[in-house]
Amino acid sequence: MSEKREGFEAEALIHLDGLYGLALRFTGGDDAAAQDLVQDTMLKAYRAWDNFQSGTNCRAWLTTILRNTFINDLRRTQKRPVPVEFDEVAERPIYPQLQGTDPEGRFFERIVDEEVIRAIEELPEDFRVPVVLADLEGLGYQEISELLEIPVGTVKSRLFRARRRLQQRLYSYAVEMGYIRRGK
Amino acid sequence: MTDDQRPPGQGVDRGGGSAAGGALGCEDAMKSVFEYLDGELPPDYSEKVRRHIEMCKRCYPYFNFEQAFLDYLHDRGVKPARSDRLEERLRTLLGEVDTEEAEGCD
Repeated sequence: MSEKREGFEAEALIHLDGLYGLALRFTGGDDAAAQDLVQDTMLKAYRAWDNFQSGTNCRAWLTTILRNTFINDLRRTQKRPVPVEFDEVAERPIYPQLQGTDPEGRFFERIVDEEVIRAIEELPEDFRVPVVLADLEGLGYQEISELLEIPVGTVKSRLFRARRRLQQRLYSYAVEMGYIRRGK
Repeated sequence: MTDDQRPPGQGVDRGGGSAAGGALGCEDAMKSVFEYLDGELPPDYSEKVRRHIEMCKRCYPYFNFEQAFLDYLHDRGVKPARSDRLEERLRTLLGEVDTEEAEGCD
């Protein structure tokens, strides 16, 4: 095995599972698309491996490649955006129903990871991508705005609506599972 | 329903004043909840929100709740996934790149 390959396996390939998880969130749980995205990312990284400075944050470097690859593909394939219709119930805050019984949101901790992941992956794409960028990757509004080529105000409103939808979805699940009682 | 039970933004605003003036009221603070928690507000406005929630017994638990939700989303959403098929395919493709590059050097 070449020295380059050894270095890549030791520093980059160890992040494969993390990248694949992130790719699944980006693609809304589309396994084939997520695998292609990770494959493209890793091949780009391997071809550019000579430029990578060993010992620096490889995970962050790979994540940036993955994110840019996903967004470039998105721009290339995106048809005319379909606006997500406002759903009054799905986007209502849940805190008023919980403030008497669970104001600290402890019920969240009882929800299995798979349900949270499903909730994120099932968001409409226009909502899901900003949530992945902001809430999972920690990017700021301005950076998301530049990446997605949408105004900062749109980033803000999509995040707001997406988070409300996620809360409602997790709240309904928790009620269904008997973790909490439906508030008035 | 007492004032303390009323959700923020739906009660009598006793925060004293509006966003344009000095101190913030509940409604203005509540409107900025995610921008505040995301650290996206201008520093002076963020400071006004901070001062409001410190003093407001309705907004304080509400902001805590939303922070707990965002923390939870971050902690649980970033979950790795495993695919042996992907790893196997990738190793084959890396081998092909090695061969290409070795041939390119000849």
